[in-house]
Amino acid sequence: MSRQSFFGVLCGLALLILLPSQAEARIKLAALPDRADTVIRLDHPAATLIEEERVLTLQKGLNHVDFSWKGVSIDADSIRLKVLTQTDKVALLSLSYPPEEASLVWEMHAKEAVEVAVRISYLLSNIDRLIAYRGVANLDETQLQLRSFLVLRNFSGEDFDQAIIFLSSSQSFPEQIQNEETKQILLFTKPAVPIRKVWTFDAGQLPWDPEKLESNVGIPVVYRLENVPKAGLGAFGLWKGKVRVFQEDGHQGTIFLGEDQTQMVPVGERMEIYIGDSRDLVVTQRKMREERVNVRRNKKGQIVLYDTDELIQARLENFKDRAARLTLIQHVLGEWNMEDCNLEYRRRDANTLEFEVDLAPHSHRELVMHYHRRNVR
Amino acid sequence: MRRMFFFMLAAFLLAVPGPAEGKMDLVTLPARDAVELTIYNSADLTLARDRRVLTMKKGLNQLQFSWANTLIDPTSLEMQPLAQGENIDLLDLVFPPRTSQLGLWRLQSGRSGRLPVEISYLTSGLSWRAFYLATLQGNETKMRLEGFVRVTNVSGEDYENAKVRLVVGQVHLLDRIADLARRVPPYGRPGPVPGVPRPEAADAGLRRERMVEAKAALSQMQALEARPKEIVKEGLSEYFLYTIEGTETISHGWSKRLPSFDSPQVPVVNLYKYEEEQYGPAVMRFLSFKNDQAHGLGQTPIPGGLLKVYRNLDSAGHLSFEGQSQFKYIPVGEKVELNLGPVEDVLVRAKPMNFRTDRYLFDAEGDISGWDEIREFEVEVKNTRGIPIQVEVRRHAPSAKWELTKKGAFGAYEQVDLNTVKFTLALKPGETQTFQYTLTTHHGRRAD
Repeated sequence: MSRQSFFGVLCGLALLILLPSQAEARIKLAALPDRADTVIRLDHPAATLIEEERVLTLQKGLNHVDFSWKGVSIDADSIRLKVLTQTDKVALLSLSYPPEEASLVWEMHAKEAVEVAVRISYLLSNIDRLIAYRGVANLDETQLQLRSFLVLRNFSGEDFDQAIIFLSSSQSFPEQIQNEETKQILLFTKPAVPIRKVWTFDAGQLPWDPEKLESNVGIPVVYRLENVPKAGLGAFGLWKGKVRVFQEDGHQGTIFLGEDQTQMVPVGERMEIYIGDSRDLVVTQRKMREERVNVRRNKKGQIVLYDTDELIQARLENFKDRAARLTLIQHVLGEWNMEDCNLEYRRRDANTLEFEVDLAPHSHRELVMHYHRRNVR
Repeated sequence: MRRMFFFMLAAFLLAVPGPAEGKMDLVTLPARDAVELTIYNSADLTLARDRRVLTMKKGLNQLQFSWANTLIDPTSLEMQPLAQGENIDLLDLVFPPRTSQLGLWRLQSGRSGRLPVEISYLTSGLSWRAFYLATLQGNETKMRLEGFVRVTNVSGEDYENAKVRLVVGQVHLLDRIADLARRVPPYGRPGPVPGVPRPEAADAGLRRERMVEAKAALSQMQALEARPKEIVKEGLSEYFLYTIEGTETISHGWSKRLPSFDSPQVPVVNLYKYEEEQYGPAVMRFLSFKNDQAHGLGQTPIPGGLLKVYRNLDSAGHLSFEGQSQFKYIPVGEKVELNLGPVEDVLVRAKPMNFRTDRYLFDAEGDISGWDEIREFEVEVKNTRGIPIQVEVRRHAPSAKWELTKKGAFGAYEQVDLNTVKFTLALKPGETQTFQYTLTTHHGRRAD
């Protein structure tokens, strides 16, 4: 960090030499060392750690090193000093906070007059990073050109003219960023990440009978991709960020498909980007039967236990020119058994059934699901 | 394009001879060669793509782009070289300190010369909506259906000779583009926001322009109606794209009305519905047709919009207004029923004619533990109109366990769901039909 930024924000890292006789605090300003290397660590989503290295010139005996700041928000409890060189000749004795000042004073003892390199670290507020993604899907929606951008936002009050930015322990690069500056930098481009387009109708979340509604029932559409090497990814986790997805339009241009906020996707895990809703797939679901059977009563004639006999019918329609595989989610609560079901399903969990239904262009299929819920109290 | 022209004059290419900062040459950014607007109707969102040719110097070049008094989302700004990609390294996009609505691209160029680029961004303030006019003919078995789109520009920017594309579809957005356009700084700021007043220039301009919008739009629409353009339609992902032939100039504050389609002979069914639980005691009128080729449609989905329905009264072409319906998106191949509201010239009277209970069960204490309820209904359906119609009567059972017997002119009968049945009757002009049904519902232990 330059002298300019040093003055601009951190008022001073001042070396104070205490008179040998007694500990009168902060008597003499001895030196104002320039910063050497500065590291900005942005690997934590909620805090930014600054590490800066400086060379201190210490006198033999007790030294007070004064560190103060102005116009920036430093977590005073987070400030640490580590001696990097001549560690056998220097001892860090104490740290104290002067009254009503944004500063602190380290008390250091040197066996002899010596120059030592130190690293000062602290948590600095109002500087952070965002991650933004832009994807461009090909015409048949099987691949995505995925680009990731780093957005550095520095409103810390401090200029960083030369710093090493660490996004993780393995991702770093040199950068400069001024106070109140926002900078968008390309992190990576992956030209052809395989994607799968998934339509999902969850009967527990979406309305069953679109006929009764004034507006269309949109079936959520997501692009699914995996953070694995065979997809051209998998080298590191994909950070949480906003994804904007476009699609080639076949005329050397693109259209905007939608945007989503993704969470951190570790290596080997799956990213799902919700782009919008389809109104060309229509599900109309109705309960055609729900009866109590096998009713058991107590001596007072009150029902204490019964089963149900339930019949669900769903009509799945594809009005698109293209085939679609619809993921249909059904929920059956409690203890149950399937009596008869005309489509294959798998259990996601005890109460969730997942159907994968292939729908040809301009076609429809029916789901008929007959089940009993058992021992309902 | 006065607004864009104004701010583009303030944009410069700053070419730096070497990697280090040094003497800078100023080059005015040339006017754009072409602009394409892709306007969405489900959100206040437009993708603008703007092509122009830059003159680059070998070394570091800086391109300043500003968008004062517009509604551009700066986080969507993107520039891509359209040629010489191997010689161009787009280093970063910087939003400099203490500036507003200004971005700076830094490009490293391996050679000097002209470079075509595309600048794209999302903007707010451009919108379109579909609306329809239907004219029923003769005995109302056919209608002429005309579709229109109306494109409105209150973006703060004049778009001259723009290629215009309209998108039908439900796009998923996290933020409103208008909010992103007004956010300062572009990506927001970490930590608490200091009490700096937000620039209101774009808002104020917008409000002023909206006041004159209606008047300006009217004259513009009148001028356009005489020369309809073809609209090319194609599907992409979950969207439908309408591309308007040629280019359009859409100035800030103006609207344009463009014809979308005209189907002169769409067969329709005059459908009337009676369902107390849904509509109360009124009979509702629907126009029913299908978005397919048999109905002179089916080329594309029909975007949702307001349909105004008229009826041809005579050979002189006089019209009467029949009603209007706001309808939802209609995919290709789907049947649609347009609700035109309540009517009084088709009557449905559903009367309970008898009620009794039966088959009581008693428990050990002598209390009632089960029984049946038997209701008899008579339904009279009357068509006072001079055309044939279809009437759908839906009835609900008050219990999940029930049986129904019917007699008379009940037409087609269908169980719709657990406790709903439907009678569909076809009536000739002036005809009355009556049917009866008996509904037996089981209660208590009789329902076991």
